Amino acid sequence: MDHATAGALFRAAVAGDAAAWKALVEGLSPLVWSVVRAHRLNEADGIEVYQTAWFRLAQHLRRIREPDKVAAWLASTTRHECLKVLKAARPLPLSDHPQVFDRFSDEPTPEEAVIGSEEAALDRERLHRLWQAFHELGERCQRLLRLLMASPAPNYLEVAAALGLAVGSIGPIRQRCLRQLRVLLAERGVR
Amino acid sequence: MKDEEWENRELEDRLRRAAEIFDPLPAGALQSAIDAYALHTLEAELAELAFDSLERTAGVRGPGRARLLTFRSPPVTIELEISVSGGTGHIIGRLLPPQPARIEIHGRRPMVLTADPLGRFSGEHLPTGAFSLRCRLPSLVVATEWITI
Repeated sequence: MDHATAGALFRAAVAGDAAAWKALVEGLSPLVWSVVRAHRLNEADGIEVYQTAWFRLAQHLRRIREPDKVAAWLASTTRHECLKVLKAARPLPLSDHPQVFDRFSDEPTPEEAVIGSEEAALDRERLHRLWQAFHELGERCQRLLRLLMASPAPNYLEVAAALGLAVGSIGPIRQRCLRQLRVLLAERGVR
Repeated sequence: MKDEEWENRELEDRLRRAAEIFDPLPAGALQSAIDAYALHTLEAELAELAFDSLERTAGVRGPGRARLLTFRSPPVTIELEISVSGGTGHIIGRLLPPQPARIEIHGRRPMVLTADPLGRFSGEHLPTGAFSLRCRLPSLVVATEWITI
């Protein structure tokens, strides 16, 4: 979701348009979830932080000064809540540990249903191997790349707000991490 | 010839598809965010988070240690001490200036507490997760900023 669309939806929500709020939530939820997972929160804590971020935005509807930056506001708020939850360091059941965290949905996506099952299974297998290779990267790379996986891709201002990085450092880190991932994929023969 | 940036974008697109399959937003979460809108068209004075011991304390904090929070609105200050153990929280709070109030806890499971004439209140078995207090005072309603406990 681009800035102008998010800003327009946000302004409409402030003016009382519940449908605009719903569209905003749908459009920016992948970003919020990516920030949560970039900080390696488990699912239960992640849902709590996701909710806190949205509840707080709803509460601050009339106080946000720059509606076009609502995505960056959400990214930054989510980050701060993540850091607090990590600091409170609630004990983590092993099964919930992010490293072994791998949730398959058995339902084929609409896209898969169209492609056909055999080809879709191959495609899924390739994506799964990519997903495994991604988890072998260092923590810094996993954090940045997980955030960049938000759909649609966040811009660098939002990435900076989500990870507490300087805008100028993002490009070089991204380049380095993607190169490392390509090396891993080549070693494993994943294309 | 493919340049490296083209390859970067192609790889990111594949990662994005992988995340959609292997790490999607959990079902049900979306609806809670959509529902938040109705909750906040209710009129209340906002008490902003002015102090949080989690922001101050350096180093590792063990579970069970109390978290100290202060929320401020122009007319009222709300001080809280929250300790979490075994998946539930224990809360002790006070209102300044001291006054009686009905305290509604919003979160996974709503609860109602009562502040005595000195503004003191306490409660047990708070659910963890997103958390906000709505304090109904004799003259107005004050809601604290949402936090995660």
